[in-house]
Amino acid sequence: MNGWIGKILRVDLSNSSFAVEDLDPDLAKDYVGGRGLAEKYLVDEVDPTVDPLSEDNKLIFATGPLTGTGLIASGRYMVITKSPLNNCIACSNSGGYFGPEMKYAGYDMIIFEGKAPEPVYLMIKDDVVEFKSAVDLWGKPTDETEDLIRAEIGSRWKGREFRIASIGPAGERLCRIACVINDKSRAAGRSGVGAVMGSKNLKALVVMGTKGIPVPDRNKFRELVKASIDKNRSDVAKVTAQALPIFGTSVLVNIINESGILCTNNFQTGVFPDAMKISGENIKDTILKRNKGCFACPMACGRATIIKDKKFAGEGEGPEYETVALMGASCGINDLAPITKANYICNQLGMDTIDTGNIVACLMELYEKGYLPEKDIGFKANFGNGEALVKLTTMMGLREGIGDVMAEGGYALAEKYGHPELFMGVKKQGLPAYDPRGVQGMGLSYATSNRGACHVRSYGIAVEILGVNQKLDPLTSDGKHQVIKAFQDLTGVVDSSGLCLFVVLAEGFGVNDMVDMLEICTGAGYTAENVLLAGERIWNMERLFNLKAGITKADDTLPPRFLKEPMPEGPAKGLVSNLDKMLPLYYEIRGWNADGVPTPAKLSELGL
Amino acid sequence: MKQKVRKILIDFDKCTGCRHCETACALAHITEDSVNPRFSRIKVFVDLEKGNNYPVISGPYTDAKCTSRGYVTIKGETFDTCTICRAACPEKPFFFEPGTEVPLKCDLCGEPPDPNCVKWCTSDALKFEEVEEEVDDVVNE
Repeated sequence: MNGWIGKILRVDLSNSSFAVEDLDPDLAKDYVGGRGLAEKYLVDEVDPTVDPLSEDNKLIFATGPLTGTGLIASGRYMVITKSPLNNCIACSNSGGYFGPEMKYAGYDMIIFEGKAPEPVYLMIKDDVVEFKSAVDLWGKPTDETEDLIRAEIGSRWKGREFRIASIGPAGERLCRIACVINDKSRAAGRSGVGAVMGSKNLKALVVMGTKGIPVPDRNKFRELVKASIDKNRSDVAKVTAQALPIFGTSVLVNIINESGILCTNNFQTGVFPDAMKISGENIKDTILKRNKGCFACPMACGRATIIKDKKFAGEGEGPEYETVALMGASCGINDLAPITKANYICNQLGMDTIDTGNIVACLMELYEKGYLPEKDIGFKANFGNGEALVKLTTMMGLREGIGDVMAEGGYALAEKYGHPELFMGVKKQGLPAYDPRGVQGMGLSYATSNRGACHVRSYGIAVEILGVNQKLDPLTSDGKHQVIKAFQDLTGVVDSSGLCLFVVLAEGFGVNDMVDMLEICTGAGYTAENVLLAGERIWNMERLFNLKAGITKADDTLPPRFLKEPMPEGPAKGLVSNLDKMLPLYYEIRGWNADGVPTPAKLSELGL
Repeated sequence: MKQKVRKILIDFDKCTGCRHCETACALAHITEDSVNPRFSRIKVFVDLEKGNNYPVISGPYTDAKCTSRGYVTIKGETFDTCTICRAACPEKPFFFEPGTEVPLKCDLCGEPPDPNCVKWCTSDALKFEEVEEEVDDVVNE
């Protein structure tokens, strides 16, 4: 096989055994790889009604056919499982160097089954697979875990050959928003995949590989990679791709705020007066040390930062846009120091920053409205209180005090205090930082996302606000169902291929570029038609899993705030989300019935 | 005597750690149809603690007892000279061809030299430029 390695490592944690399986080339072609292929395995092997934290659930680390090839932004791997946060099918995507290394070690996927009797970590060195005790590592933050494992491997140089993905104390304590952290600060963040890893007593996955990734023709492939790099330097990508290296993803803060959709005080309004203070421009001027890129990425949107403010001193990576917006604007905080500190803590404890921001913002609103008494928290937690953000983040990761409730997710917290409508999430997962009242397509995108509220399942912002390749009016819902569907299908392919979504969102790559890249890397016979069909197949497969897991049409909705309370100010003033208009149209073009269930005709067209 | 030579200049501050140079070099030198950065004669050492990236171009192999190991402090920041040492050596498991374990050395590829790593660098950390430098009278290899 080309592009794919053609090998899957299956690890049974209960018996400390493993087996290497061959990958079926036809299956690989139909489901592309990564997200699609691993989900196919999950759907086939795991009962959708299983308890996500039981040993019957499986955890899959997967790469795509383009991962590690050196093509633009080809450093992604994915973690696939059933989500403990909302019972949906979960696929979290991360960059750094871990994914490519896993492929150089010779595996497209690593499937974890069962549960280790006591904490272990798995060490993979090409064909050698070892189970090692992680009893001494249990309880350690992710960065320290990496250091200790590297030290154990031997000389520091030997240790530096390995790439590590691990969970922190949050994952161990089954915090439902826990993530998997690799390369110290890259996160497979959403859906609580870290809690599943914790439930399996798997502390870390350590890989080193010396093998290559086969391609059909290396000279043709070289030209392709060069072309993909040159496209980054061309005018097509001028605004988006060139703004990312300079300001990072937080370049969005001012743009989104001017569009009146920056989540402020738990999405009570879309305009944050102090946006400039938490913007990418200010990050660059104050805390930035240097830009950090993932494997093969010319955009390098990562920010290595340092906080000198004594109260919040620290050094690490972040924050990126979603983090500053949710921990900043949504919590009413206009100071980068506590936001960045909370980001560092999330990296160390292994927690998703989007959900952390949402949960803290929800708690702050509950507190301010008097539904959550101060004695339950132990200190004042009003909007704008940076110290509270930092304290609450730590408490949530360690499940201390009120943190124990927060760790069950924002919905559980809001429900416990009698106001579930104050948690801004879909399918119990927190909303990313774009208010759907002022960007209608995103509302549909959140409501229909197969893993709960999510911005990377179809990033309507790219066309509704940023105008990558085309520009649509964000305030109207006309025609958005088509845009969102097309984006969802294309995103499925990009994720599955192992590329970063930014190749589409920032660089302006389209379907034809994806076909070229997949075809030159794999030679499997991809065309524009079957690539998009693969995307649609992946989407419907996820939908079917969710339906069987108990998700219904009633879950395809938004929090009442966006449907009933008009936006109080800004460009979107007076608007609510037109979800009720978009949803039936969306079901229709998806080939689903009025209850959001794929019709038999659709399923047979997709071969499901 | 002084002489004009063309050299690959490295600006550590600009490197983002994307490792495109490794892919470029590996693809230019590998003889089979595969992508494998282990065949590269340039390697980006990523310092996860400080967030620094050090692209290092492989020099000649040496197995003599090393005398250059130590630390230098520049503007208050301490650097490990072992990290930026160009040698392929028994201590560092890099710059050896997988399978054969033959030490790899940069050959300034291209005719005339036009190194692939520089052409593919997207952060301008690598530059191929003419510099004037003091050289020994003895002709360099």
